[in-house]
Amino acid sequence: MSAVPATLRTALADGVANRHSFWVQVGLMVANDVTWVLFWVLFFDQIGTLRGWQMRDVIVLFSILLLSAGVALGLFANSRRIGQLAADGSLDETLTLPVSPLPHILSSRIDAANMGDLLFGPALFLVAGHPTPERTAVFLLGALAGSVVLIGFLVACGALTLFVGGRGEQADLGFNAILIFASYPLDLFGGATKVLLFTAVPAAFVTGLPARLVRNFDPASALLLAAVAVAFALLGWGLFTLGMRRYSSGSIWTR
Amino acid sequence: MTAAIEANQLRKTFPARRGEPIEAVAGISFSVAPGERLAYIGPNGAGKSTSIKMLTGILHPTAGDARVLGIVPWRGRRELAARIGTLFGQRSQLWFQLTPRQTYRLLARIYRIPAAEQDARIAELGELLDAGNLFDQPVRGLSLGQRMRCELVASMLHQPEVLFLDEPTIGLDLVAKARFRDLIVRINEERGTTILLTSHDVSDIEQVARRVIVINHGRLIYDDRVSRMRRALMGTKMVDVRFEQPPDTVEVDGARLVKLTGSGAKLEVDTAERPIRSVLDDLLDRYQVVDISVSDPPLEEIVSHIYARPL
Amino acid sequence: MSAYLGGWQVGFLRTIRSPGDLSVRVGFFAIILLVMSALWSAAVASNGGSIEGYTRAALLWYVFAAQVAVLGVRPRSVEEIGDEIGSGAVAVQMLRPVSVVGMRMSLELGEACARLIVAFAAGALLTWLFAGPPPSLPALALAVPAVLLGCAANIASQHAFGGVAFWLIDAKSSWFFYQKLVFLPGGMLIPLDLLPRGLELISLALPFATMAYVPGRIASGHPDPLLLLWQVAWLAVLTAMAAAVFAAGERRLQVTGG
Repeated sequence: MSAVPATLRTALADGVANRHSFWVQVGLMVANDVTWVLFWVLFFDQIGTLRGWQMRDVIVLFSILLLSAGVALGLFANSRRIGQLAADGSLDETLTLPVSPLPHILSSRIDAANMGDLLFGPALFLVAGHPTPERTAVFLLGALAGSVVLIGFLVACGALTLFVGGRGEQADLGFNAILIFASYPLDLFGGATKVLLFTAVPAAFVTGLPARLVRNFDPASALLLAAVAVAFALLGWGLFTLGMRRYSSGSIWTR
Repeated sequence: MTAAIEANQLRKTFPARRGEPIEAVAGISFSVAPGERLAYIGPNGAGKSTSIKMLTGILHPTAGDARVLGIVPWRGRRELAARIGTLFGQRSQLWFQLTPRQTYRLLARIYRIPAAEQDARIAELGELLDAGNLFDQPVRGLSLGQRMRCELVASMLHQPEVLFLDEPTIGLDLVAKARFRDLIVRINEERGTTILLTSHDVSDIEQVARRVIVINHGRLIYDDRVSRMRRALMGTKMVDVRFEQPPDTVEVDGARLVKLTGSGAKLEVDTAERPIRSVLDDLLDRYQVVDISVSDPPLEEIVSHIYARPL
Repeated sequence: MSAYLGGWQVGFLRTIRSPGDLSVRVGFFAIILLVMSALWSAAVASNGGSIEGYTRAALLWYVFAAQVAVLGVRPRSVEEIGDEIGSGAVAVQMLRPVSVVGMRMSLELGEACARLIVAFAAGALLTWLFAGPPPSLPALALAVPAVLLGCAANIASQHAFGGVAFWLIDAKSSWFFYQKLVFLPGGMLIPLDLLPRGLELISLALPFATMAYVPGRIASGHPDPLLLLWQVAWLAVLTAMAAAVFAAGERRLQVTGG
């Protein structure tokens, strides 16, 4: 039986150990998120509808983003730190344990601030997203798929540093771009951009498609989303495994 | 009896971004029997950490091969990991905000230690390593010495047959170092665990190891019992003297003048030839000494001595 | 005076010499511009071609100028100020015979100028491509000093804010709050004219409006010199506040010993 759940529980305990600090960071993030909600409220108060989108639709989109990002960055916080861990030599510690390195690394750290998103996203959906049981189920599964896409993307970018060195700052760039695009309805964007969002900057699969599914569930799109999530998971896993071979051969000059 | 550790012409070359590739380990061979205590000594950059990384399966060698407990480390990493323990001096296995016991519980899951045995093992190790009273406080509140004892417990929890320690006493004060070394010896004597300890601290050789391997520039240059090394080389002492008025030369039986400066002199004494006490007596009798101090020669010097001696 | 100029120069050159950092910032700016342009284009389209008098072009040029004015400022400066005061690094700076706050502000203004040269050019080009020519070329020209003044006011305000906030909350939180003040009442996310009347009035009374709203308003086709005067007035007030806050901090450090 895998030790991943136990590792995650330990990471949570460690991250919450200083309760005051934890809740302050969560609070700040929630305040941050509330500002964005306020922006949308003010925007729609003036604008009305946006290419068929109502305020509630955008709120749902935003809550999906919060839950996805919360899982990827808050719960599995090491997903964006793989480059850093490699550069620091911290991967060595994982290699001394009788475990598969990637799951162990991913479950070894939480981030308090992003846990705020993890908590606020579902709360926002429950309050403002018209949460019928069906919509809630689609919301949760859709956001989960989105988080898998995010984690896969981040791990893949981090794994690249195992090949070329560096600390993985480039990953942050692509990742932040995804977050920016994923905060807005897909229908805002024209042809070329939309193609981008379905490929290199997969924001469409983080919020676009899940949000569409919550509005109008259809099995084909759901299957597509699941398939893409699996694809990103495999991409991340594959690049990481290959990268670890290179790491173990010492091809990047690490001290 | 099969060796616990066997290295055969291990070689590791790192490609460099600019210039020549770096040969960190240039063909090292040795064999360690189960239950041995081995110090793996060398100056910084000698290739110690690289060697340990190859033996624990973290790095693949460029050439050569090795076996630890009969397993090729880089091929059977996970299988080997369950049977060896590691302690890297500058890294911690303990979760900083939690108590050591909480880390041990997680490690017990990772190493698949049966639930019924966990508490007993933790208690036993606590007693063996004088650390039981530390297990239920957060790690962040422990001193470095206390933390290192808890790290030792973590490394031993799964009852490894071989324990690799990489510079474990870095940062510890003298008392804590001595105490820690004592605990390593205890582990070896009571559990029969094979110990491989890397260090650039000469006292680690004296207190822990029965056998020492010296490496430098990636090559093995000395492999023998500590008792022999002590007799051969560690009898050397350095004496720094300051004079009221610097003499033209300093001549004392049994001492070799290494350096004469404006205010004093540096001498090298082979205590096998003449005890340090009588050399000091001589100096004080014959010269007007303002200050005098006796120290061990730096490791680099011992190493270069070793390097210069015929093998 | 030449000391401050020196400070400006250091900030300017330092930024110009890190093309990697600069291109990352400008890259993000381009993405945000793209996204906001798409947003407001769609908004205008859903509202019959104009919102509160803003045409599509006007809105997109507003977004450009408002964003670039905020981009110019070093992010998390508030956090650094708070940290420096807390760590007593300020005390060391105080040993030099110039005003600490003056030096810091000159430095950051130099950095801002370097960023703005690149960002303004790149952003104007992109906006021209998305939105067509600006509603009024004189307005775009006037937007240049407006953006600079907006930056300067932002920098001054961060020093005042950072200096005060340090005593009340920790540095990281202060940055969080500060940023939101620039985003909403500052008019970076939404032109203030589009807010409900009550919020609009409150925002116009606050200094943040001079940091994003004013450059945006001017660039959107309203080259009103009074707007610049409004910025200058707030800049003076904010600088005085920053100086006062740092002076109070100096006195306190001298009393408590840091």
